[in-house]
Amino acid sequence: MPKVTFTDHAGETRAIDANPGDSVMETAVRNGVPGIVAECGGSLSCATCHVIVDPADFASLPPMEEMEDEMLYGTAVERRETSRLSCQIRITEDLDLHVTTPETQV
Amino acid sequence: MYDERIGYWVVTRYDDVKAVFDDWETFSSENAQAPVRERGAEAKRIMAEGGFTAYSGLSARVPPEHTRIRKIVARAFTPRRYKALEPAIRANVVREIETMLRRPDRTGDLVADLAYELPTVTILTLIGADTSQIDTYKRWSDSRGAMTWGDLSDEEQIPHAHNLVEYWQECLRLVEEAHRTHPDSLVGDLVRAQEAGEEITDHEIASVCYSLLFAGHETTTTLISNALRVLLAHPEQWRQVVEDPKKISAAVEEVLRYSPSIVAWRRRAKRDAVVGGVEIPAGANLLLVMGSANRDESHFEAPEVFDISRPNAREHLAFGYGIHYCLGNMLAKLQAKVAIEEVARLAPGLRLVDADAIEFGHNLSFRAPVRVPVTWEA
Ligand code: HEM
Ligand code: FES
Repeated sequence: MPKVTFTDHAGETRAIDANPGDSVMETAVRNGVPGIVAECGGSLSCATCHVIVDPADFASLPPMEEMEDEMLYGTAVERRETSRLSCQIRITEDLDLHVTTPETQV
Repeated sequence: MYDERIGYWVVTRYDDVKAVFDDWETFSSENAQAPVRERGAEAKRIMAEGGFTAYSGLSARVPPEHTRIRKIVARAFTPRRYKALEPAIRANVVREIETMLRRPDRTGDLVADLAYELPTVTILTLIGADTSQIDTYKRWSDSRGAMTWGDLSDEEQIPHAHNLVEYWQECLRLVEEAHRTHPDSLVGDLVRAQEAGEEITDHEIASVCYSLLFAGHETTTTLISNALRVLLAHPEQWRQVVEDPKKISAAVEEVLRYSPSIVAWRRRAKRDAVVGGVEIPAGANLLLVMGSANRDESHFEAPEVFDISRPNAREHLAFGYGIHYCLGNMLAKLQAKVAIEEVARLAPGLRLVDADAIEFGHNLSFRAPVRVPVTWEA
């Protein structure tokens, strides 16, 4: 089963079993992971589902599209090298992804 | 609850409102721009003869058409675009506040003196429309609001029908002009996208303008007015904002929760459905009351309390949710933030005059204060 490990900015970690086809954002929201707001429900309009992907995992993800890249300029905590919007990352069969949530999404 | 006066099923709980927004396959937004009260024969005739064929830019369109147009338009609404506008927005705000503060009788109205023009200038600039025509656009917008969400008699509708015809003709003209001049503006971008092979027609581009020239300012005028109205009515929290401007973003979210510019929005059931345990027949109209959902005690603790440090304020439904989620949300919040920052800096001692007497326009969806009178010490 695919797995996503969320670490909050204070270092607390939650490992969540995920369903293929869902987004990382949906996985977080359904399991009550704090630190992801997802105000627009995944329509790529709010940038409140920002995560920083573990550099070791980053290259294994499909590259982001131009619109996600644009929206990352609107995050509350400035984007980093491996920032993504979690509503745009799809869970695949044997994903084992590690992400950190930023201090704030507002 | 079914409200017979308007023929709508009224949905008020947070979870139910959010679930209806989320399920666009069952609940279509096709009725979002329909006149609440049917248009009179004379208004219909004026609009037909005037070539008025607009209905909706995006909000009342449904997939797959909605998906196609939204994708093209969203590219013109990116954070980097807004940030480029910020210096001009700030300069505008400062000029308006300084003008107000020079008034010898030390009284002002934050709606007329600050909130009214600012977002209109911003959206006209973004679209590439003529910024010297603010009053004309405001007149057209008022007509659009009254004709769609108001309760006008057939007679009262007539001047507004003429305004809508003019408004739509101007949208068509903007597109036609952009084909010739290729301006550096949103209309210019959409026309360029079309010429580069994107699937969007001139009528659709004009409809997007028709939407934005309304959605792009009315609600932001209301947000700025409400933000200052509510903050000044809570002097202790206003003081916190003045002392620590970093709190302003969170304060704007709490204003959107506590007093959203749009208090209710519409959907139509495409099939039989159940909402909050109540059976709703196919074809029924629903009124989603975000103003109520935002004060649902099962989601927000002590919901009647205005509290800028509320941790989950941002979960409000002021901008809707899901595929139609407000495209302009970041632009609206940016303008409100800049307005509050500059008022806090230039006029921290502002006080409301007779706060309880503030009146709101009469309308199904938009709850907008007519005036927010203020005064200050010399
Ligand atoms: C405080 C200010 C604003 C509020 C409260 C607000 C609220 C809303 C709401 C409730 C919706 C419907 C969402 C749904 O059906 O799920 C919406 C849609 C929309 N808003 Fe806003 N809005 C604001 C400002 C703006 C601005 C500044 C713009 C543009 C410059 C804008 C453009 C739009 C557009 C184009 C849609 C339709 C999106 C779609 O159907 O895909 N809004 N807004
Ligand atoms: S949930 Fe809004 S951008 Fe990802």
